[in-house]
Amino acid sequence: MSRGTLLYAAQRLVLISLTAVVVSSIVFIGIHQLPGNALASERRNNPATEQALLHHYNLDLPWPQQYLLWVEGLSRGDLGESLVNMGVQITPLLLREAKVSVTLGLAAVLITIGVGLTLGTIAAIRQNTWVDYVASTSAVIGYSVPSFVWAFLLILLTVSGFYAWTGGLVYEDIGWGKIEQIPVPALALGLPYAAIVARLTRASMLEVIRQDYVRTAWAKGLAARVVILRHALRNALIPVVSILGPLITGIITGSVVIEFLFGIPGLGQEFVTSILSRDYNIVIGVFTFYAVLVGLANLIVDLIYPVLDPRIRY
Amino acid sequence: MAAIPTTVEASQELLVGDLPEQLSLGQDAWRRLKRNRLAIIGLVIIAIFLVTALVSIVWTPYATWRQALGPTYQGPTLAHPLGLDDYGRDILSRVMGGAAIALGVGVGASFLASVTGIVLGLLAGFYKGKVDVVISLVINVFYGVPDLLIALILVVLIGRGTLNIILAISLTAWLGMARLVRGQTLSIREREYVEAARTIGTPNLMILVRHILPNALGPIIVQATYLVPAAIIFEAFLSLLGLGIPPPAPSWGRMASEGYKALQLAPHIVLAPCAALSLTVLAFNWLGDGLRDAIDPRMRR
Repeated sequence: MSRGTLLYAAQRLVLISLTAVVVSSIVFIGIHQLPGNALASERRNNPATEQALLHHYNLDLPWPQQYLLWVEGLSRGDLGESLVNMGVQITPLLLREAKVSVTLGLAAVLITIGVGLTLGTIAAIRQNTWVDYVASTSAVIGYSVPSFVWAFLLILLTVSGFYAWTGGLVYEDIGWGKIEQIPVPALALGLPYAAIVARLTRASMLEVIRQDYVRTAWAKGLAARVVILRHALRNALIPVVSILGPLITGIITGSVVIEFLFGIPGLGQEFVTSILSRDYNIVIGVFTFYAVLVGLANLIVDLIYPVLDPRIRY
Repeated sequence: MAAIPTTVEASQELLVGDLPEQLSLGQDAWRRLKRNRLAIIGLVIIAIFLVTALVSIVWTPYATWRQALGPTYQGPTLAHPLGLDDYGRDILSRVMGGAAIALGVGVGASFLASVTGIVLGLLAGFYKGKVDVVISLVINVFYGVPDLLIALILVVLIGRGTLNIILAISLTAWLGMARLVRGQTLSIREREYVEAARTIGTPNLMILVRHILPNALGPIIVQATYLVPAAIIFEAFLSLLGLGIPPPAPSWGRMASEGYKALQLAPHIVLAPCAALSLTVLAFNWLGDGLRDAIDPRMRR
C-alpha cells in the first residue's frame, strides 16, 4: 500500500458515503411524497395515540424538516426506528443482517471465481476439443438458467435427492445458522455468474497464451502448471477483474431472491418483508446499506488491479 | 434536373454493374448469422416461443385460470401432459399463457429501455458539455444501486399492472443502453463523414438520425437482444417475491413461486415453467451471441 493508494482509497470512501447519502435521500424524499405508511395502514381508535405515534416518528412535521432530522441521524449512523416493530433500532438490526448477507455473498463470489476460472482456463488450453465444447456450452447454459432455477434444482438434489438415495441417512434442511447450509444457496447465487467469468476467462486466456512471453516460458522448459498459472493466467485475469464490479452488484440483486427462497435472514429478505409491510424506515435503511456495500465491493476490486497489473497506479 | 443522381443510394445503383457482388451490411451479417448453428437453433426456439405466445392469446388446451380440472398436484397424464398445479389448473395451458406474458414484458421492456437509452445516449455523446454531465451523473449514481430494489419500490408505489412492470424494469434497464450509445456516439461524431455532413450545413438532428444512429445500430441491436431475456428474468424475480403481474395471470415466475411450497411433493409444478423460462432465455442469449459475432467481424473467434 503506497501513499497514493491510501489517498485514492480515502477519496473513494468519501465518494461512497456521498453516493449513499444521495441514493438514500432520493428514496427518502420519493417515499415521503406518498400517502400511507405502516402506521396509517393500521386502524387505531384513539386519535391521541395516533398523534403520539406520529410525533414519535417525526411524521407530524413537514417532510423537509423530517429529512433534515433524518440526515442528522444518518451522520451519527442512526437510521431510526422500525415503523412496524416499534422500539427496534434499525442500524443494529441491519448490521446483524448485513453480516449474514455478506457471508452468503462472499461464498457466492468465491464459487463464481473458483468455478469460472477453472472452467475458462481448461476450455482455453484445450481449445476446439470436446473439453472446450462441453465447458463453453455449459457456460452459456449456466448463465441462461437464472439463480432461482438453480436454487430449485439444488434443493431437489440436496434435500429430496440425498434423502432418498441414502435411505434417509443424510438429511439437510434449507435455512441458515449451520455452516453446511451455506453452500447450496451460495452455489445457486454464484453459478450464473461463474458461467460469465468462465466465458471471459476463456477469451482472455486464448489471447494471452498466443503471446511471445508465454512461448518463451514454454521454450525455457517450464512446467505446464507454472506457464499456465503463473505466466498466462495472471495476465488473463485483468479483464476478468474488470467485470467483478457489475458481477458483485448482480450477486447482491440475486441474493434478494435467494434469501427470500431459502429463508435466510439477510438484508434482501428484510427489504422484501419491509416493503410489503410498508416499513419505509427500514426500506430506506437497506438502500443505504446496499449503496455502501456495492461501493466498498467496487473499491476492493479497484484495489486488486494494481496487484495484478503493476502498470496501474493510483 | 433529372439525370444527376442526388442520393447515395442512386449513385450506388449506378456502380453496381461494375462490381462483382455487393452486399449491404445487413445482408452480410445475415449470411454470417446463418452459418452460426447455435444462433439458428436459438432463432428456431424463439420462433416456437413466438407462435406459442400468439396462439395462447386465442387458444390454450384449457383456460389458464380454470381450476379443479382433476386431482390437485397430479403429475403428467395424457389429458394434462405437464400435470396439474395446486389448484388443479392445467400446467401446459399456463406455461403457454406464460409465454405471452414473457413476450410482452421482454419485448416491451427491451423496446422502452432501448428507446430511452438510445435517445439519452445520443444526446449525451453528441452535445457533450452540460447535457453529458447530467446524463452521465444519473447513469453513474444508479449503476451502483441494485436494480431489483428500485423496481420493487416502484412496483409498490405505482401498482402491479403489466405496463407498470414493464416501466419498472425499463427504469434501470436503459442505463446500460445509454452507456453503450454514448460511447459509440462519442467516437462516431469525430469521423470524417460526420464532419463532411456538418460542413455542408446538415442540421444536428439530421446528423444524429442519418449518420450517427445507423452507424451505431449494430451494437444497439445486440444489446437490445440481450435486454429481452434480462427483462424476462427480472419479471420472474418480481413474481417470485410476490410483486410481479398479479394472479391469476400465469407468469412463469409466479407459477414457480406458487409451486415452490410443494417442491418436494410435486416438482413438476416448478420445473415446467422454469424449463420454459430457461429455454427462452438461452435461445435469446444464443441469438445475441450470434448477432454480436455476425455484426462485428472483429469479435469473431
